[in-house]
Amino acid sequence: MSIYLPIAELSVNIILLLSIGGVVGFLSGMFGLGGGFLMTPILIFMGIPTNVAVATSANQIVASSISGTIGYWRQGLVDFKMGGVLLIGSFFGSILGVWIFSRLVVLGQIDTVISILYFALLTSIGLIMLIESSQVIRDRVRRKTVKRKIHYHNWAHKLPFKMKFYKSKLYISAIPPIIIGFVIGILSATMGIGGTFILIPAMIYFLGMPTSKVIGTSLFQIIFVTALVTLLHATTTFAVDAVLAFFLIIASVIGAQLGVLAANKLRGEEIRALLAIIVLGVATKIALDLLVEPKEIFNISVIRAFF
Amino acid sequence: MNFKIFLLINLFILFLISSASALVIGSDEEEIYIDANFSGKNLLVFGAFYSDPSQARDDKSDILIEVVGPSEDVVIRKKESFFGFWLNSKSVGFNDVPGFYYLSSTNVITNKFLNENNIGLLNKKDTQLIDWSALNIDWGNVKNQKEKNTFYDALIRTKESEDVYRKVNGEIEIIDGNLFRSYIEIPNTVPVGQYKVNLYLIIDNKISNEYSYNFMVTRVGIEEAIYSFSKNYPLIYGLISLLIAILIGLSGAEVFKRFRKV
Repeated sequence: MSIYLPIAELSVNIILLLSIGGVVGFLSGMFGLGGGFLMTPILIFMGIPTNVAVATSANQIVASSISGTIGYWRQGLVDFKMGGVLLIGSFFGSILGVWIFSRLVVLGQIDTVISILYFALLTSIGLIMLIESSQVIRDRVRRKTVKRKIHYHNWAHKLPFKMKFYKSKLYISAIPPIIIGFVIGILSATMGIGGTFILIPAMIYFLGMPTSKVIGTSLFQIIFVTALVTLLHATTTFAVDAVLAFFLIIASVIGAQLGVLAANKLRGEEIRALLAIIVLGVATKIALDLLVEPKEIFNISVIRAFF
Repeated sequence: MNFKIFLLINLFILFLISSASALVIGSDEEEIYIDANFSGKNLLVFGAFYSDPSQARDDKSDILIEVVGPSEDVVIRKKESFFGFWLNSKSVGFNDVPGFYYLSSTNVITNKFLNENNIGLLNKKDTQLIDWSALNIDWGNVKNQKEKNTFYDALIRTKESEDVYRKVNGEIEIIDGNLFRSYIEIPNTVPVGQYKVNLYLIIDNKISNEYSYNFMVTRVGIEEAIYSFSKNYPLIYGLISLLIAILIGLSGAEVFKRFRKV
């Protein structure tokens, strides 16, 4: 059974679509990730045009980050003030990102740039996850627990425009969170990701935020970044596919719930190592597509149709 | 109109004007509707022709059917290797090229004939007599003729691989010497808009008669409604997409909360 996607302009199998949404949702629920970093390349592998994959992923992440934020907010783990400051940066970052994106579409380089960005992102994510999970597994075998520093003091505490973030127990400059937000905004608009993978370590290591508040706060700001990115793409690149987004959202929300349940019952490290291998596999496929000589070195794109 | 009655009337007319060659045609469709489940269809083109009875038909007269779809502007990009990476480099913009092109004939029609009579698009790739002026082309930084030809070939090749450009022989069925019928495959990848059917009766390598008519290809259904809404009201479309995401996200969280309590 297949369905026609009106913006992507192709038919896809519904079961395949729901499975992809469900699996990505499951992984994101299990590991507290946005999942956009897997969703976008998988959609591209399916044959969905790059611009549609990016814009629609952003739309899907709005739904999954809302679900996630509510869960953390109920437990009081969202620093709204920090989220707001991050958003100031992401607002301008996503506008710049969509502008860069539409320029790349005109220049015909969007596919290549997205591939290279994804290769870099997925390779680093995959390697970090693989190293980290193998260390945890090794430590568990040796019956050791890893001690982590609670609070970091660094340059973020020395810059001007200092603000008090009561929830995070921080008194730091507003400049670093705005810069981090700005970078996340650009990446979100160009790659169709929420950016949790970059945001969470940045918030812990650059801002020194307590780990418990980081996920909720990053999810909170991702809602607004991806919402803005969705609107910008809908109005400038016309690439948001509502039908595709609908099926992905339904499946990923259900998948995410199952993922959270599974996370409580399963040991994370082995699955995390498996996910790392999947991520590296996707990165390898992207690299091969760039490096292997294509069968058809010419490609066509319709710029304007006369009705 | 019923096919047989139509042909009988036409044949009657043909007998009345028996002095010169004539061409009368019909088609079963004026409009083709494409919806999400459209998997291509066969467009029936039929008609009757009459040529000088003193000459044997088979080797002297031919039918040529040309279907030209709505125009579009396309860009052909060529990938080149930069330090091992295959990246898009040179590009050529072809403006006002047909989004669909079909050329069918009873016998093999030579490129020479097509060029002399200024028919066709597909014939041009095989010849040095390419009428570049007929197309509005933005060559960019592609300078030499040989490289230009590779881009022209690529345009034809990519369109052929999408099944929207075709050149065939022998698909036209001749019945009783003077009636013809052809089913033209319209794949679901065709662009929407106005299509023109040109029919030529060729006798002794000369166009003795020609006839043209138009039909429309239209997209219908909920998918088409969503598509045009997204183009016409992008902001509202974006807001609705967001609203759907927000509602499902919120209800997902709600269901999740209840799930947890159980």
